[in-house]
Amino acid sequence: MKRRAALLGLAAAAYAVAAWMVAPGFYDGFGPPQAYNWTCPPPQAGANSKPSAGHLTVKVLGGESDANSAFTDDGQLVIGFLPGAFVIDGKSSIDVTITPLSTCPKPSGIQFVTNVYQVAASAQLDPQKAANLVLRYSNLEPDPSAVYEASDPNGDWKALPRAVQGQPFTIETRTTTFGYFAAGYPSSSPPPGAVTVSGGQLLPIIVAILIVVVVLAGLPLAVMRRRGRG
Amino acid sequence: MRAGALAALVLLLEWSRAIVAQQPRLAVAALLLGGAALIATALPFSAERLGLGTSKLALRVLGGIALGAVLLLPAAVRPGAVPLIPAGVAAAAVVVSIGEELAFRGALYAVLEDLGGAPLAIVGSTLLWTLAHVLSHPPEFLGAVAAAGLLLALWRWACKDLVGPIVGHVIADLAL
Repeated sequence: MKRRAALLGLAAAAYAVAAWMVAPGFYDGFGPPQAYNWTCPPPQAGANSKPSAGHLTVKVLGGESDANSAFTDDGQLVIGFLPGAFVIDGKSSIDVTITPLSTCPKPSGIQFVTNVYQVAASAQLDPQKAANLVLRYSNLEPDPSAVYEASDPNGDWKALPRAVQGQPFTIETRTTTFGYFAAGYPSSSPPPGAVTVSGGQLLPIIVAILIVVVVLAGLPLAVMRRRGRG
Repeated sequence: MRAGALAALVLLLEWSRAIVAQQPRLAVAALLLGGAALIATALPFSAERLGLGTSKLALRVLGGIALGAVLLLPAAVRPGAVPLIPAGVAAAAVVVSIGEELAFRGALYAVLEDLGGAPLAIVGSTLLWTLAHVLSHPPEFLGAVAAAGLLLALWRWACKDLVGPIVGHVIADLAL
């Protein structure tokens, strides 16, 4: 009996390690399918449409750029600008373009799970007023752990600090520069997935309830079993 | 011969379901029919052979809840929101979860155990379970799928019980 319990414990530990290697872990894929327009669709994607580009003209009012958001037509990348986010240098408007890259770079040590997008603008961002960038991803790939940025898609990519989680299947960050963006995770190691339970999530609550149920119900059952033996 | 035929049938059902479910309009129907077909593969077996006895039912259910907690734990401690499953899909997910357990840890486990004892039943059902998910999951997920299958198969062996894996699998599928 002890051997069986030990094997079960080992299997549970092995599962925890294996599930930690890939977010969100074991799942049967019943969640709402997350439609995604791929540049390079994974084999299990089925029918695919090419990803969309986006364009925005930000007005300059009273010497300050207006607050606005640029997004691709399919909503896979959204970048939001605060009032005065741009260094306007006498411009009357600022053009922002979002273009999905037609290729799928595979930088060493990083596994991208979204398309790579080039975000460009006719003015620089004020370093004090970072833009909020949101990338949507699909549940056909593991969850990303970070948004990466590069000035050249074939150059060095750096991970940007992750902002607080928003909608499901989205990842957010803040940036003060334009360039190329994609979401992914380090391919040489499991996604870091810091052990922090953020508020408002249902899953940690479900697991906590399950553990409480097991503990609360297990104690009386164990007592009853002992009494039955006695 | 019987084990091979059953394994081929179960894999065919799972792969067909995965292919049809790629069509958004057919997804729920594919899940329901696929799950029902998997349940049907266990019909020739008695409840005892499938591990579905009713003795110590409360403990079996409790074990299933614990298994569900273990299956969900890695996802629960990650940052990231998980969407709620729509009611229609949730019902289909329950059917598929029950069907998969009856097929893999029930019927297949039973015939493989007859053939080569518990080791073959555990390893064989886990391998087939992993193979069954090849078309529906990205390759990166198959390690976690295999580990989950091994955990559930070991429970089936250690506790001679399928109620726990069914309850745990249903909980995990409803939450993820």
